[in-house]
Amino acid sequence: MSQAGTLDIQHLSKSYPVKDGDLAVLEDVTLTITPGEFVSIVGSSGCGKSTLLRLIVGLEDDYRGQVLLDGERIVGTSLRRGIVFQEHRLFPWLTVENNIQLGLLNADLTPGQKRLAVREHIALVGLEGFEKSYPHQLSGGMAQRVAIARALVSKPEILLLDEPFGALDALTRAYLQQELHRIWQAEGITMILVTHDVEEAIYLGDKVVVMEPRPGRIRRIVPVGLAHPRERAAVGFAEVKQEVLREFSGDSASLAAPPLRSGAAEPDEPRQWRFAI
Amino acid sequence: MSAQQAVLELRSSASSASAATLLTTSAAAPVLAQKPRTRFYSSWSPRWLALPFPLFLLLLWYAAAQFEWVAPQVLPSPQSVLLTFVDLVASGEMFDNLKISLLRVLLGFGVGLAGGLLLGVAMGLSPVFKDYVYPLFKAFSQVPVLGWLPLLMLLVGIDEALKIILISKAALVPIALNTYKGIENVPARYVEVARVLKFSRWQLLTRVIFPAALPPIWNGVRYGFTHAWLALVVVELLASSEGLGYMIVFGRQLFQLDVVMAAVVVVGAVGYVLDRGLARVEIVLLGWRRSGF
Amino acid sequence: MARSSSGNSHDKHPVPKFLRGWILPALLLLLWWLAVKFNWSTSPLLVPVDKVWDTAVAQFRSGELGIALEASLRRDLIGFAIGVGAGLAFGIALGLSRLFERLIGPTFHTLKQISLFAWIPLLSVWFGLGDPAKVAFLSLAAFFPVVLNTFEGIRSVPAELVEAARVLKFNRRQWLFKLILPAASPSIFSGIHLALIYAWLATLGAEYLLVSGKGIGNTMIDGRELFLMDLVIFGVIVVGFVGFALNWLAARLERRLLAWRGRSVAQF
Repeated sequence: MSQAGTLDIQHLSKSYPVKDGDLAVLEDVTLTITPGEFVSIVGSSGCGKSTLLRLIVGLEDDYRGQVLLDGERIVGTSLRRGIVFQEHRLFPWLTVENNIQLGLLNADLTPGQKRLAVREHIALVGLEGFEKSYPHQLSGGMAQRVAIARALVSKPEILLLDEPFGALDALTRAYLQQELHRIWQAEGITMILVTHDVEEAIYLGDKVVVMEPRPGRIRRIVPVGLAHPRERAAVGFAEVKQEVLREFSGDSASLAAPPLRSGAAEPDEPRQWRFAI
Repeated sequence: MSAQQAVLELRSSASSASAATLLTTSAAAPVLAQKPRTRFYSSWSPRWLALPFPLFLLLLWYAAAQFEWVAPQVLPSPQSVLLTFVDLVASGEMFDNLKISLLRVLLGFGVGLAGGLLLGVAMGLSPVFKDYVYPLFKAFSQVPVLGWLPLLMLLVGIDEALKIILISKAALVPIALNTYKGIENVPARYVEVARVLKFSRWQLLTRVIFPAALPPIWNGVRYGFTHAWLALVVVELLASSEGLGYMIVFGRQLFQLDVVMAAVVVVGAVGYVLDRGLARVEIVLLGWRRSGF
Repeated sequence: MARSSSGNSHDKHPVPKFLRGWILPALLLLLWWLAVKFNWSTSPLLVPVDKVWDTAVAQFRSGELGIALEASLRRDLIGFAIGVGAGLAFGIALGLSRLFERLIGPTFHTLKQISLFAWIPLLSVWFGLGDPAKVAFLSLAAFFPVVLNTFEGIRSVPAELVEAARVLKFNRRQWLFKLILPAASPSIFSGIHLALIYAWLATLGAEYLLVSGKGIGNTMIDGRELFLMDLVIFGVIVVGFVGFALNWLAARLERRLLAWRGRSVAQF
């Protein structure tokens, strides 16, 4: 069991400079996440949920407000906060086990301990036998599982997931949701999932944070009081789903408008990155 | 393969009845786990087919020389070329010249490789450096290697320095360019993963940037080598007193075309071997890429 | 380690971006000018900057530049056209007919190993020293890359498109013009672009090695023989310009004709 962390987000705001002034992507987001909790964040496009995740993991900076992990202000990225992106982002030139091992590159363990950790996590995500495979030999679902293993192998306190199953087909998605749930129960770490799939959010989360766009802010937090394992067809489930969906129906204007150009957009072309020299 | 033949027979068969039976039989046949290849042409192609054409050319050549359809100075007979070749190898002349050429190209290519990689890496990693250097570099690269030849001849004469400089320039330009672009185009996705996993700068460089940029860099290396070899031959043709190119020119001056041809064959063979060698290295370095079908 | 999504906003360098590219060339020119002014070398090779300019103007005015350029480019384009035409035909034959590829392919692949310029002495015996030999050589230079890339392009037509054409019952002519050539066109254009580069390189080489007649290469060789550094430098600049113009033209054409592809391959 990894150590779980308390995440405290206080009055988080972020805006991007655009031609005439600033574009507010997130406004006054306040959220507390208790250790070991599973929080789902849903919202239509442009509500800033991916930006929120990127701020928490430390890939974006320049914000107002505070983000505290166990009372400490977060600065940049850290092995205590792991992330799984929508694309698996495995390094194509490495095998599965070498990709997972990357998570431990800067960990304070002996090579033997690292090998053990990698083996454990391959078993955790159910990919025994594929240690020496290359990413292009894996299906989308399998590759994403490797990405999850890579994120978990360094035993972070928080795992962030940015629409991790969005690029997969419905059957694989359903299967991986179950797997994620099992992993969460096994590891016991805090997890924050961003998704546009309301059912997925309810299936996995202890609470569902509904966000709305322009500017991105929390509209409502819907607690999910259902016991595990959850049945999507059950009445209780449907009731929570209704509650969440109701937050969207009144906001039909937001669904028609074009999405905000937040930094979370994953372009196909390589984005400009630079060393500071 | 059986589905293949079915297609051929389908095309050539006129009656639809036989076509229908072919379809049913092929449907009953077990499905091979094979990706459909681009089969829109006839595919009868046994291996030995490679031989008739060259043999034909050889025969033509032999006849032309034998019956003197052209003067022997213009077209030496195949036998004389072979004899001359054996002669040159036996006397050691071939190996001497070959050795000199090889040393030259390896040295020149080595310099160009080192310089090209350094330049490319610097431009790729430091946008400020690139801003200063790239425009000038681009301007210089517009002039093909040969364009520099007369200038360099004036500056450094016609001995080894000329050749090495020219060969290294030929290699340096494509290598630097491809390295720079390769590094610049490393997807930001991987860099973000490295940031989240707290890679140090060195780890980012060695574990992310270079592996990701390796395919284009390697392309540049192969291209650079082709150009280096090209430059070697030219400069030896123009301004040398030893080496394979020199042999060619020398033979030509004396109308000893058999010498010329022998040397040309060796030039081709060496070029081939070196290129294959590079292809081998590529498999080792870039084996992780999914191979096309 | 910093990253910026725009590249500009994190620039802390004193010199503004648009000026940086000019600094090195300016420095070089300055060094050159200083070397002349203070006689750092007594060699006749150290010509003053303005002499190059004067020579350039003289060449231009007297029409010599025009003659030389015209001669070089004419040969270049004729050879290029022949080479590309023959190359396309040959490449398509190789790509479409497995039989042809098996018969002639190996011989071709062997011949292509021979470094381009090694052909010149042979060609000079068979074609003489004048323009025919040069054009023959240029055609050869353009021929090989076109064949290779055309062949590659045709071989890489995706199987899915082939099947679609089969279902749509294409006839032979439609196969070639509506499926194969368009699908192979990116590769074919790469080949043509390469052929352009090689043909220009070969033009110069041919002029050096088959010294007769006029051309930019000849101008430079003359300059070298007479130790006229200014003439040589002038020639280098002209050659650079032509190379740049050819590249730019090819890239524009490629982008226009292959606009359906999205991102062009012609980056350099």
